[in-house]
Amino acid sequence: MGRLDFARCALLECVLRERGAVDWIAVGLSVDVPAGTVVPRRVNDTDMAIWCSAAGKLHAWGDRCPHRGMRLSHGFVRGETLSCIYHGWQYGMDGTCSYIPAHPQLEPPKTICARSYACNEQDQMIWVALAPTQAKTPDAEGRRPVRSLEITLPVAKVAEGLGHPMSSLMVLGGVYDLAVALQPSTQHSCVLHAFAGADQERKQVSRHLEKMRAELESADA
Amino acid sequence: MREAVDDHWYPVGLLSGLEDTRKTLLLGREIAVGRNGAGVFVRDAAGRALPTVARFGHLWTSPGQPTRDLFTIPEADTPGRQLVDVGSVRVKCSPLRAVENFLDIAHFPFVHTDILGAEPHTEVERYQVDIREEVDEVWATEVKFFQPQAARSAEGGIKTEYMYRVPAPTCAVLYKTCPPRPGEWDVITLFVQPLTEEWCEVWPWMALYDDQSTMAEMVSFQQMIFMQDRSILENQIPRKLPLDPGMEVPTQADMTSVAYRRWLKRIGYTYGAQLVAA
Repeated sequence: MGRLDFARCALLECVLRERGAVDWIAVGLSVDVPAGTVVPRRVNDTDMAIWCSAAGKLHAWGDRCPHRGMRLSHGFVRGETLSCIYHGWQYGMDGTCSYIPAHPQLEPPKTICARSYACNEQDQMIWVALAPTQAKTPDAEGRRPVRSLEITLPVAKVAEGLGHPMSSLMVLGGVYDLAVALQPSTQHSCVLHAFAGADQERKQVSRHLEKMRAELESADA
Repeated sequence: MREAVDDHWYPVGLLSGLEDTRKTLLLGREIAVGRNGAGVFVRDAAGRALPTVARFGHLWTSPGQPTRDLFTIPEADTPGRQLVDVGSVRVKCSPLRAVENFLDIAHFPFVHTDILGAEPHTEVERYQVDIREEVDEVWATEVKFFQPQAARSAEGGIKTEYMYRVPAPTCAVLYKTCPPRPGEWDVITLFVQPLTEEWCEVWPWMALYDDQSTMAEMVSFQQMIFMQDRSILENQIPRKLPLDPGMEVPTQADMTSVAYRRWLKRIGYTYGAQLVAA
């Protein structure tokens, strides 16, 4: 990654802080990224590969193999490594390339590495930070994750519609004791990851969330 | 710079599949391709007739003034070969990315698993690459790779030898060990029509020694291979081919790709290329 990317990231961080300091962004439920799998996620127009090692350790990397630009989210997990599907270049936990199959005897230079982002698992939700942060991952206070919903509205509109100032985790309460985390994906869309009270019935909460989404989207139409 | 791009020959259709008139794109501009009483034609949006060449089962044209004839493949003219019109596949990628992928062997075990390659046979031995100034082409020779099933006519794994040739910026020719005829080369080509800088129509064509497979079998083998390539080509970031070093990291196995990029830059062929690291 070039200097420009870092500059862009720093700028993005400033903008985010002004908008209401979101350090940690939820990108999905842990159950949706089981051990041995990798999935693509878009966070604020940044393409990421979120993967879970065989031992269950989660990682968030830039979705691009430095070799030929292939999306790492199409790759495969073996043990504690992620490999690119194009040429099998293998990356270890710290993001540096550990093996190039075309040159089995070669020790890859340490400079070959995937861009990595801070990634934590908390309350069975996966959280990433686009820029280094001292903040703690949000605590859902005993609530359980229910599901994720894509919403075709910018994240600010959704927060406004929910009548809540933007933050990493917004506690809405109500009948289902909801708490939601918004993942801005593009300028025009976001994903809402929802928690509900531990004793709430998932199917009912899920229906309620769909209704909520429909209302948010139609209010803006 | 525009001449450097316009003055080349480009494939725009299969001779065997020409209709009355088909509208398509070439370098972002609309053209009409077809057959009439007198023969074949290509016209630009203003109705101006563009030059045509019929060769390798395809119709070729140029929006500029080509300074030389379309390249030839003498090996493909030797008798006894099956000439295979594979058809076309549209791919959302730079035409240059499509060519570069065709020149690459290190991906065989991972993208064409158990067909053109298989783990643990992943090593790419050193091979020869040069830009041949006298013909203005890129060549890679003495390329060797283990293949579980090198062609429809191949049984079991063999160490296959290849030569790669880039005779034009959006065309590549592969010469490959021919299982039924040691000493001869099968010819497999990739002719790419640049629709736009990030969208292309790929026309593979083959001249093979194979008297066992039917035409349909040879076509479907090659189509299957290219479908696997397409899943890569549509997921590379950026879509355009970076010509400046820094954006991507090559190794010794990528010597052909390095030479191809260097050659494109030298001849000023920037259509579908990314020049500044973004």
